[in-house]
Amino acid sequence: MIDPTYLGQILVNGISVGCIYGLIGIGFCVIYNASGIVNFAQGAFVMLGGMTAYLLIAKTGLPLLAAGVIATLVVAVLGVALERLVVRPLWDRNATMFVMILATLAAQIVVERAMLLMVGDQPKSIAVFTDLPPIRIGGVAIGYQLLWIIGVSVVLISALNAFFQRTLVGRAMRACAIDREAAALQGINVSGMLALSFALSAGLGAIAGFLVTPTQYTAYNVGTPFAISGFIAAIVGGFGRPLGAFLGGIILGVSQALAVVTFGSGMKNVAALSVLLLFLFFRPTGLLGTAK
Amino acid sequence: MLDVKQLSARYGHVEALHLIDLTVGANELVAVLGPNGAGKSTLLRSIMGLTSSSGRVTFAGTALPRRSASAIARRGVVLVPEGRGIFAPMTVAENLQLGAYQIGGGGAEFAARLQHVLSLFPRLKERLSQTAGSMSGGEQQMLAVGRALMAKPKLLMLDEPSLGLAPKVVAEIMETLGRLNAEGLPILLVEQKAPLALKFAHRAYVIANGRVAAEVNPREIKSYDELARYYFS
Ligand SMILES: Nc1ncnc2c1ncn2[C@@H]1O[C@H](COP(=O)(O)OP(=O)(O)OP(=O)(O)O)[C@@H](O)[C@H]1O
Ligand SMILES: [Mg+2]
Repeated sequence: MIDPTYLGQILVNGISVGCIYGLIGIGFCVIYNASGIVNFAQGAFVMLGGMTAYLLIAKTGLPLLAAGVIATLVVAVLGVALERLVVRPLWDRNATMFVMILATLAAQIVVERAMLLMVGDQPKSIAVFTDLPPIRIGGVAIGYQLLWIIGVSVVLISALNAFFQRTLVGRAMRACAIDREAAALQGINVSGMLALSFALSAGLGAIAGFLVTPTQYTAYNVGTPFAISGFIAAIVGGFGRPLGAFLGGIILGVSQALAVVTFGSGMKNVAALSVLLLFLFFRPTGLLGTAK
Repeated sequence: MLDVKQLSARYGHVEALHLIDLTVGANELVAVLGPNGAGKSTLLRSIMGLTSSSGRVTFAGTALPRRSASAIARRGVVLVPEGRGIFAPMTVAENLQLGAYQIGGGGAEFAARLQHVLSLFPRLKERLSQTAGSMSGGEQQMLAVGRALMAKPKLLMLDEPSLGLAPKVVAEIMETLGRLNAEGLPILLVEQKAPLALKFAHRAYVIANGRVAAEVNPREIKSYDELARYYFS
């Protein structure tokens, strides 16, 4: 029998890392909805978010939060660059989806290697945002960084939801996801929406990377594992459903945390892939997905 | 207003339109008739820049861009596509707002347009917060036309708005289109139901096998057998 306090601790940790997966998963959904592309360079955005913040702090001494905001904006711009330089030329040539997905994977590798050349292979970290001892609730220690992760995630999800539901541009993006051609017939600049979706999901990835770096570390190669987890979160949530991806991320984070304490840390990936397989077998449309 | 010259379009190696010449004058309602697979939808889609086509399409004196439906829509050429293209999971209000995307979907101008559209199709008024996909076929078609009108088009093109609808609903929609045309809106209407289209049209083209088989004056058509001849020529 696992001690309930210990279980509570695992759940809290699982939820916070799950929020990170969820944010990355939402990044997948936003681009997928606008274009049908599964952007495997999503992990690069996460790595770039943490790494850019680290570099800004280390080289210019910027305060932490300012570095985070600037890193997010820089990565959003890089997301648009990826769309313009890699995706758009293929898109204009009517390349198959498979080719475009492979191209994003190639871009991920290029970014990763470029970062290796720039900063080397040593892990980097940044300080926790609030340097206070963890809060204790019935024996469960909740670090301030976890609160930051959960708080910022909840704020972002609400903001995104308001953007998609309440603003004209958000509605236009949804319209593109439903029927791209009909959206174009309304005068909506569909390719502009594609660029915007890359900016948005790159920004989300960067924030995820910035939030998670103090609790772990960042290095040129952290992107791929995060991308895989985010991708699984998105599938579990019903691909293309931002809220589903967020819930999927939490399910994944908690399952991983439980697997690690019950079976050992080698089981982390086994747990992730088991969650994926269970959903693919028993609920292939995901949590919130409807059969298409 | 609209001047189509030598328009050809192909899907891969199949030529679906061959050197079409067609015009729509100011205040005109022009019908395009023809059997299934004649190329009627391809014609409207090519005007909107949605196919790979060659030829010249000018509107109000200047050439329309070749491959950008959104840029063409912003010029005021608005298509109600085959199958309506409504955003089914979104509400009726959201659909109408997206029709007015170019003016930012808000403000006094938007409110005036919305009021106008709702006065033309009062049934939409009761359903503003309902999802578009949950409405009847006729109501969805009204929404598709209403959404197009929210853009305040300079030319309205419709691809078989009568498809799959009860005659009473079709009559209602056609009456509305006739009235809008009488108020000065040029309309290019693709329709298989010839008698219906000819009742309202000033001129009509018959398209068969991707070519203009005939240009007819509705008032000179004595029997529909005469028209049917073109369909199979
Ligand atoms: N996406 C496509 N790919 C290949 N061929 C197509 C495509 N769309 C249409 N066609 C072909 O082009 C020709 C013209 O089709 P189009 O849809 O324009 O006809 P239509 O007159 O609108 O017919 P309908 O009355 O049935 O709507 C047909 O032979 C059709 O098979
Ligand atoms: Mg057709």
